[in-house]
Amino acid sequence: MASDTGSAQRAGRCAVCVFVFVACIGVVAQQPSSFAASHSGKNEFVIKNAILLTATHGRIENGSVYVKDGKIIAFGANVSAPASATVIDAQGKYVTPGIIDPHSHMALDDDVNEATSPVVPQMLMKDAFDYNDKAIYRALAGGVTSSLLLHGSADMIGGQAVVIKNKYGLDRDQMLFPGAPQSIKFASGENPKRVFGDKKQLPSTRMGNFEVQREALTQAKDYMRQWDEYNEKVKKGDKSATAPKKDLKLEALAQILQGKMLVQIHCYRADEFLTEMAIADEFGYKIRAFHHALEAYKVPEAIAKNNIAIATFADWWGFKYEAWDAIPWNADLAMKAGVRVAIKSDSNDYMRRLNQEAAKTMRYGGATEDQAMQMLTINPAWIMGVEDKTGSIDTGKDADLVLWTGYPLSTYGVPEKVWIDGDLYFDRSLPGLGMPQLQEGQ
Amino acid sequence: MKRAAFRLSLFALLAPGAAFAQQKTSPVKSATTAALDPNKPIVISRGILLTITHGTIDNGVLVIDKGKIAVVGAAGSVKVPGGAQTIDAKGMIVYPGLIDSETHLGLTEISADRMTNDLVERSDEIMPHMHTADAFHAESALIPVSRYNGITNAIVAPDSGDTLPGQDSFIQLAGADATQMLLIRDIAMPLNFTGKQRRNESFATAQYPQTRMGMAAQIRQAFTDAQGYVTKWDEYNKKKAALKPGENPPSPPARDLKLEALVPYLEGKKPVVVKAEEPNDVETAYALAQEFKLKVIFNGLTHSQAIYDKIASWKVPVILGSIYDDPKEWQRYDAIYKMPGDLSKRGVKIAFASFDAHQVRNLPYAAGFAVAFGLPYDEAIKALTLYPAQIWGVDDQLGSLEVGKVANVVVATGDPLDVKTDVKYVFIQGRPVPLVNRQTELRDRYSNR
Repeated sequence: MASDTGSAQRAGRCAVCVFVFVACIGVVAQQPSSFAASHSGKNEFVIKNAILLTATHGRIENGSVYVKDGKIIAFGANVSAPASATVIDAQGKYVTPGIIDPHSHMALDDDVNEATSPVVPQMLMKDAFDYNDKAIYRALAGGVTSSLLLHGSADMIGGQAVVIKNKYGLDRDQMLFPGAPQSIKFASGENPKRVFGDKKQLPSTRMGNFEVQREALTQAKDYMRQWDEYNEKVKKGDKSATAPKKDLKLEALAQILQGKMLVQIHCYRADEFLTEMAIADEFGYKIRAFHHALEAYKVPEAIAKNNIAIATFADWWGFKYEAWDAIPWNADLAMKAGVRVAIKSDSNDYMRRLNQEAAKTMRYGGATEDQAMQMLTINPAWIMGVEDKTGSIDTGKDADLVLWTGYPLSTYGVPEKVWIDGDLYFDRSLPGLGMPQLQEGQ
Repeated sequence: MKRAAFRLSLFALLAPGAAFAQQKTSPVKSATTAALDPNKPIVISRGILLTITHGTIDNGVLVIDKGKIAVVGAAGSVKVPGGAQTIDAKGMIVYPGLIDSETHLGLTEISADRMTNDLVERSDEIMPHMHTADAFHAESALIPVSRYNGITNAIVAPDSGDTLPGQDSFIQLAGADATQMLLIRDIAMPLNFTGKQRRNESFATAQYPQTRMGMAAQIRQAFTDAQGYVTKWDEYNKKKAALKPGENPPSPPARDLKLEALVPYLEGKKPVVVKAEEPNDVETAYALAQEFKLKVIFNGLTHSQAIYDKIASWKVPVILGSIYDDPKEWQRYDAIYKMPGDLSKRGVKIAFASFDAHQVRNLPYAAGFAVAFGLPYDEAIKALTLYPAQIWGVDDQLGSLEVGKVANVVVATGDPLDVKTDVKYVFIQGRPVPLVNRQTELRDRYSNR
């Protein structure tokens, strides 16, 4: 009886979910008819009278940015845009590249961790990507134009990330970042050992953690060898050769070993950076970035030497034991030792004001304005492998731009307008949600 | 006029180039914190004083003596004691210590480590006899980290998992031990009514109260029981007073610590901090409070935009937010960011809180962010100083730079609400607090290898 009631309650909840889901679809379907025209990727405009914080070319007072067909065509103090370009007067306000968040779990509903096995590289976050999640809108309103949506940290080797441009209101495939390389999530430390240890499974210790990782990569090497042998036989005309069974998990691991994926490792402790780097050396793959990396300041030279970036919090600490030695000077100390540093959110809250988080590095450790901007834009873009496409105000790059109400590296600067690929996706002055693509009442 | 002057200097701070140039070229030729003798007068000169109650003084002098603020005024207009130790605060901002109106300081150390957490007693919902003062860990590493950013006083509240989780303490963030830091024990009692206090995970495991009506009924019963308890004791005391010689004294009622804990709140002697978020919860919780004539401070209100006017008409102070809570699906991204400005505009007395322990240091940035969304700057500063002092009944001691008040004073390189501002001196009860903590020690250990 009780269980019947329980399932009735669950069914009721599901009905609610369905209703909410349908309602969300409804919102997206409400796109005004002018939408296609205004978001064609074919806009031509010039932002004038702005202070440009370019991230890669410093600060340009009284600067302009000329945008056409979704790209930055020209920028600087002397830009001659054709008369056909619409003029946007920034009135002396700041314009920056769009913020890039290299560590987010938004828009994945509760599907962040496939924690039924500690090695799940065949999981594709794209399959869970909830492109209707309003969190994307809130990130956009915080000036974030691109995000790396990562698998969680329950597993030693997690799933494959999805890179998006935060074009809230568009269809799923229109939000995927074209040409972005494939990233994969690794983790280490307390989370995997807790998740599996609580289930009385391997791993429940750090030695278990790393052994699980080595075991998986060893299997992948074996799998690659089997395929190599098979391919060799086929090449030699051996008709009796039988193909090894295709295994998606091992395929994904093989791609890591072949250097086809950017390895993003959730890792807190200094000793674990060293172990992860040793394993990467042993198996011959590169680590793109350590995420969280709260103890990077203890071994920054080793991280820098391996050309590994960090995606870190500005000042989070103490939420667990492996975060007990976190200090707000971490980003600056690592940067000064030559590490490429990004400030990331890992939070649907902090992603809305990452600019403030980066500004904290100016206070703790004295990052310059340029360095703080780089931590928000070009460095996270590098972590995601899209640094040639976005992450700075540069000729030929995607026109991912933010116009701010005040100085962005402060408590007070908030985005006024946000463009992605030259289309306006957020405009604070508009009523309702402030989204030109979802204007209510049209 | 003085306020206008401060706005100008604030504007200069917002233009970062100017502010940083100023910081770099201004040599601080003053006593270091370690060199200051707390037993002698300390003069803070040439700073911009945010007095809170008497405007901004551009070239000001503030003297700390015997734990109190002895002098506040413009340079040349006030007498400075001879031979005093001096801090040159030229180009810096001097303001009263910030007050955080809800923290868990001293109740947690490492969030994920259960043995270091004393946040809330989950065995029952009605736990007014839990005193945060009993768990307060004065030596917590989180406290020096918090005061590093100019937070000098805080409310220590239990977590909001119960409807009546216990009683708050009011602390100062420095002192030799817990007795010195716990300024007021049992200063207020939270009454949480956000729906999150329900025990309704599933029908199979649900316990009373599974619903909001269950929560309300349980609270109502608790206060009704406390009323009955008061009546019993009143009757007993009446009988005892009327006792004639030779008569047997009446036997006293059995004491009940849980009900006793509710009595000062029933009598309106102390405030109940009512936490609710949605309009329906706000109305239900307020009606409950009215039913028992409780003195109310609101807390939360994150999704109650629709009834701001009504809330303002109740004339109760509000602890804001957190303003960082997620808006509802249908809401604009800034619906909650605007709450401080929207309530302030309606004449509501507001105070900010971090609702945290590790990130108490970031309290002033919530106020700054609220300024970006419409809260006047002066109100933002007051909502970190004078207003919480008034709300918690300590404004005769704290909340402004005024002669005679306790010398909780902060000297910083710039605007207290901006993330880039560095705090240079913190005084608590007139004593210079070393700006050293677990994190600065780690920084120094690893940057000087």
